[in-house]
Amino acid sequence: MTKLVTKHSAFMITAAVCVTAAAALAQSPARDQLASGNALWDQRLAKSAIAALEAAARDRNTAAEAHEALGRIYTFKGWQQDNVFPGWHDEPSLRERALAELKAAVAADPARASAQEALRVAEGFAAADRVDPALPRPEIRALDAKLQSFQTAGSDPKSGSDPAAAADIAGAVEARAKAQADPAPFFTGAQILIDRGEYDRAIAMAQRGAAASDRFIDENLSAYMMTGKSQGSYARGRSTAADLVGWAQFLRKNYATAAATLGEAERLSQGLDFVNQFHLGELARAQNVLARARDHYLDALSLSGGPAPLRQRATDALAALQAGTSTAIGFDAWLATELTRRRDDRKAAALKSLVDRPLPALALTDVDGKPYDASGLRGKVVLVNFFASW
Amino acid sequence: MAFLLVSIDEDDKRLRRYLNEMTFPFPVARLNAERAERLMGFDNLPATFYVDAGGVVRYYLNGSESHGDSPVRVSWYIDQVKQLGK
Repeated sequence: MTKLVTKHSAFMITAAVCVTAAAALAQSPARDQLASGNALWDQRLAKSAIAALEAAARDRNTAAEAHEALGRIYTFKGWQQDNVFPGWHDEPSLRERALAELKAAVAADPARASAQEALRVAEGFAAADRVDPALPRPEIRALDAKLQSFQTAGSDPKSGSDPAAAADIAGAVEARAKAQADPAPFFTGAQILIDRGEYDRAIAMAQRGAAASDRFIDENLSAYMMTGKSQGSYARGRSTAADLVGWAQFLRKNYATAAATLGEAERLSQGLDFVNQFHLGELARAQNVLARARDHYLDALSLSGGPAPLRQRATDALAALQAGTSTAIGFDAWLATELTRRRDDRKAAALKSLVDRPLPALALTDVDGKPYDASGLRGKVVLVNFFASW
Repeated sequence: MAFLLVSIDEDDKRLRRYLNEMTFPFPVARLNAERAERLMGFDNLPATFYVDAGGVVRYYLNGSESHGDSPVRVSWYIDQVKQLGK
C-alpha cells in the first residue's frame, strides 16, 4: 500500500512537472513574439514590430510588456517622429492608440513603473495638444467685428463724405491697433475707406499699415527662423499697403501715380498676388493698353486665392477683351491653355538660380565650429547639399 | 567627384543628435543660416547645388524634388555636370 501511495505521489509530481513544462512551452511563443517585436522596433521596422507585439499582447504573461512597447511605438509615431528621417511625419491619429496601449499595460500590471512613466509622458503630450497655441483673445475679435461692421454698413459710396462716420472708422482702427499691433486693422480700414470713396484718408491709413507691419515684424523677428521668411513678411505688408494706395489712386483716376504704386506692389509680391494683378489689369484696361490688361488678368487667374467675385470680374473682363479676336477654340479652352502655360512657366522660373555662376566662397566650419578645409574639393565635381535637422 | 553636406542648424545638440541618427557617409560642414541663404539664394531645404570641376554651379534644386531625389536622378545630374567639364 505504502508502495502504491509512493507510486501515486510520484505520478502526481511527474504530472505536475509536465503541466509546468507545458505551460512554459505554451508561454514561449509569446515571449518569442515579444523579443522579436522589440528587436524589430530597434531596427525601426514598425509594421512587423507592431504585428509581433500585438501577438505578444494577447498572452496574459507578456501583455503588460507588449502593451507598453506598443504604447511607446505609438507615442513615437504620434508625437516624435517628425524629425527622425526625411519624409517621416507625425501621425496624430495614433495618439489615442498610444494612450490606450499604455493604459492597457498599466491595467495588465499595475506595479509596472516603466509603463506608468510612459503613460505619464504620453498624457503630458496629449494635454499639451489640447492647449490652443494661439488662444483667441475675445477683445480682439470684438474689435475686429466692430471694424467689419463699417464694411457692411457703408455700402453706399455717397455716405463716404460723412465726417462723423470717417471718425468712427478711424476710432475703430485705433482701438484695434492699440489692442494688438499687427497691421490688419489699418488695411481693413483703408479698404473700407476706399469702398466709401474716401481716397485721401484711405491712402493715409494704408501707409500707417505699412509702418505698423514693419514694426510688428521687427518686434518679433526671432520668430521667423529664416531671413527669407522675415523678408517675405516685410514685403507682404509693404505690398498690401502699396496695392491699397495704388488702387485708391486709380479710383481717383491718377493713373500715373497708380501705375507707379501698383507696380511697386507687383515688385514686392513678385507678381504673385491675385488682387494686385487684378488691379493692374483694371488699370491697363482703363488706359486702353489691352494686351497688357489681358496679361495681368491671366496672371491673376493663374494664381490661387482672391475672392470669388473678383475672380469672376477678371474672367468677365478677359471674355470681353477676347470677344473681338477670333480663335479656333472657344474662350474656355483658350483660357485653360493660357492658365496652364502660365503655371508651367512659373514652375520653371522657380529654378531661379545661381546656375552658371561660380560657387561663392563659403565660410564653412566643421560640426565642432572649427574652420572647414574644403581644399580637397578643388577640381572635382561636387554635390553640395544644404540641410537642417528641423 | 565629392559630396559635401552643409547644415544650417543653429541648435548644436539637435544637429548632433540628427547626425548620430543618420550617420551620413559624407563630410558634414556648417554655415550660418542667414549667410547661407544670402550667398546661395535658396529659401527652401534641402537646397542642392551641382558644381562642376571649375567651381561653377550647373544645376540647382531649391527644396526636394516632388518626384523624389532618387539615386538615379542624382546620378543623372552628376553625369551631366561631368560631361560639361569635358
